[in-house]
Amino acid sequence: MIDLLATHYNYLMFVALVGLGLYGVTASSNLVKKIIGLNIFQVGIFLFIVTSGYIDGGSPPVVHGHGAETYVSPLPHVLILTAIVVGVSLTAVALALVVRIYEAYGTLDEDTIREVRLND
Amino acid sequence: MTAITAELTVVLTFALLTAVAATFLRDVLNAIIAFAAFSFGIAVAWLLLAAPDVALTEAAVGAGITTVFFLVTIAKTVRPGGERLFEPIAWRSVAVVAVLVGALLTTVRSLPAVGAMNSPVATSRITEYYLGNAYDQTGVENAVTAVLAAYRGFDTLGEATVVIAAGLAVLLVLRQEAYV
Repeated sequence: MIDLLATHYNYLMFVALVGLGLYGVTASSNLVKKIIGLNIFQVGIFLFIVTSGYIDGGSPPVVHGHGAETYVSPLPHVLILTAIVVGVSLTAVALALVVRIYEAYGTLDEDTIREVRLND
Repeated sequence: MTAITAELTVVLTFALLTAVAATFLRDVLNAIIAFAAFSFGIAVAWLLLAAPDVALTEAAVGAGITTVFFLVTIAKTVRPGGERLFEPIAWRSVAVVAVLVGALLTTVRSLPAVGAMNSPVATSRITEYYLGNAYDQTGVENAVTAVLAAYRGFDTLGEATVVIAAGLAVLLVLRQEAYV
């Protein structure tokens, strides 16, 4: 387990962040905090993918005019750039829905909203 | 055998601690501030993982725009008050998380070590192709830009479509039809 900490620390952090994100989504009854949990989950997966392309001592993939010999893979970076922008778009839509839910129910607490809906 | 640098260990540990704070702080404003700190920590981690383009995007979008969206949302809604600083632990969620974390931990040992020269992504033919041909074929020095805008240009067009669709959805959900 100790040697895993030395060689696989990024992957252990990925597992921890994904676990924390899932906890945030399921445990909190506040809708805004659920969305924060969703973002933490997402960043955990980004960490996994960016780490998979990393080479010890590798340079950023700027391929012309530099003397470095080893470059890290550019493809995971491209995928994560796209995923970050898509993630913020989804967060914006989710937060807009949260604002509308607050206008309709006057609360952001999931349990209270469920009670209001049962009473209707 | 490669070892992870001390800087990366410190930055990732900082990010994990801020993520824990964002998850367990009861006040939503505190959680949003902790989440912004988490995004900055992760942006520095991208820099240490030789991904400066991702670091810039994370700092601008993750720590910047996302935080503004969260702050606007709580300005338009409520902050749940209360005397407690932290949320009580929800044990049912802990059980669910334990299943997921346990399943993922069994796979960690079979992954290549962080930074290994012979990892599948580093030795992939696609990686070699992009690094070998990106400058000659596109004239762009930054291979990330070359892949984003040239080789995977349609992917980026799809990303732009998602952003437009999300913007329209936000305006419609908030009943701002005058702008649509």
